[in-house]
Amino acid sequence: MAIGNEDAALRVAAYVDDELDAIARARFEREMAADPALRSEVDAQRALRDRIVGHFAPVADEPVPDRLRALLTGGGEAEVIDLNAARARREQRRRLPSWGNFGAIAATLAVGIIAGQMVDLSGSPVASRDGQLVAHGGLERALDVQLASAQPQDAQVRIGVTFRDTGGALCRSFDSADLAGIACRAGDDWRLRQTFAVESAGGATQYRQAGSGDAAVMQAAQTMMAGAPLDAEAERRARDAGWR
Amino acid sequence: MTSFERELLGLLPRLRRFARALARDAADADDLCQIALERALKARDRFEPGTRLDSWVYRIMRNCWIDEVRANKRRGETFAPEEAGVAVGDDGDRHVEARVELASVERAMASLPDEQREAIALVLVEGLAYREAAEILDVPMGTLTSRLVRGRQALMAQLGEG
Repeated sequence: MAIGNEDAALRVAAYVDDELDAIARARFEREMAADPALRSEVDAQRALRDRIVGHFAPVADEPVPDRLRALLTGGGEAEVIDLNAARARREQRRRLPSWGNFGAIAATLAVGIIAGQMVDLSGSPVASRDGQLVAHGGLERALDVQLASAQPQDAQVRIGVTFRDTGGALCRSFDSADLAGIACRAGDDWRLRQTFAVESAGGATQYRQAGSGDAAVMQAAQTMMAGAPLDAEAERRARDAGWR
Repeated sequence: MTSFERELLGLLPRLRRFARALARDAADADDLCQIALERALKARDRFEPGTRLDSWVYRIMRNCWIDEVRANKRRGETFAPEEAGVAVGDDGDRHVEARVELASVERAMASLPDEQREAIALVLVEGLAYREAAEILDVPMGTLTSRLVRGRQALMAQLGEG
């Protein structure tokens, strides 16, 4: 180390760590301009910092293991959220309610939630399990088995993209006559993470045209997604592996 | 899930990164994360709304880590830097170059005295301001900066920068 003096080393560190105020910084930079040894010490410290930062930075982009997520999301909650939504919310400083990001869309579900039991809402695509909204009936079956690459012409539910969220869970976007949204795998359930009411122009089974709802679902999916969506082959493999 | 849990969930990627900088390997780091989360959930009533949750959890995690380190020392486990190299070298999935980098940065971090390692982890890895790091570690600013400088010098000597 070129600089043995601890005070000098402290100043270099404070400069590299951006801890100097504007005046001290300007003074330091003047000294540095006149002192090649100081300059090279700063360069070396900066390279060290970059190397340490670069080494650990990717950890924050890894999917969070389920067991850690489960400590925070498991059991009895009435609300589900994903990391990106939380991050986006922090960044937006709570300007908008979480589902209000897609203002033009009539959001939320008109279903009751009863904690602690499974509630069958008579033919509804949605049920409540332990206070979580989960896919049910035809929607659940479609999420379980239907591949985006091989959907029946007359499918009641259409699958959009399948992807892993930042927490590592497999998620699928879906669209149907009365509900569109994104569901993510949690145990054997598909938890509804985003839902958008669909204003259907035709009858209940009439499939609506692509419209703003699809854009909102895609936008939400992109916010939640870690990496790229699964391709057809990966989607098939994921299904065969039980969406783990 | 309450807003408390939601915010913790949002912090998890950073907490895992901090844990990785403290612990000796990825598995230990996630165990440390789990222990810290459990402790944070238990102690949630002691969190003061309006203060920074990230600092609060960093502090909890750091305390969990120190507890763990002390327990290991009582059990007589010591951490030889060579072990890290060998352990990492056994990971056949990685390219040699990445392995060398992994080994050297993690070995260098692992060789630091605990109080230097936690200072480096908070300031360099987590990017906290000196004042925030000093508060989390409950030490005066001067103590923090001096640990940082000594930690940097040791890392520099091992990693051969400059």
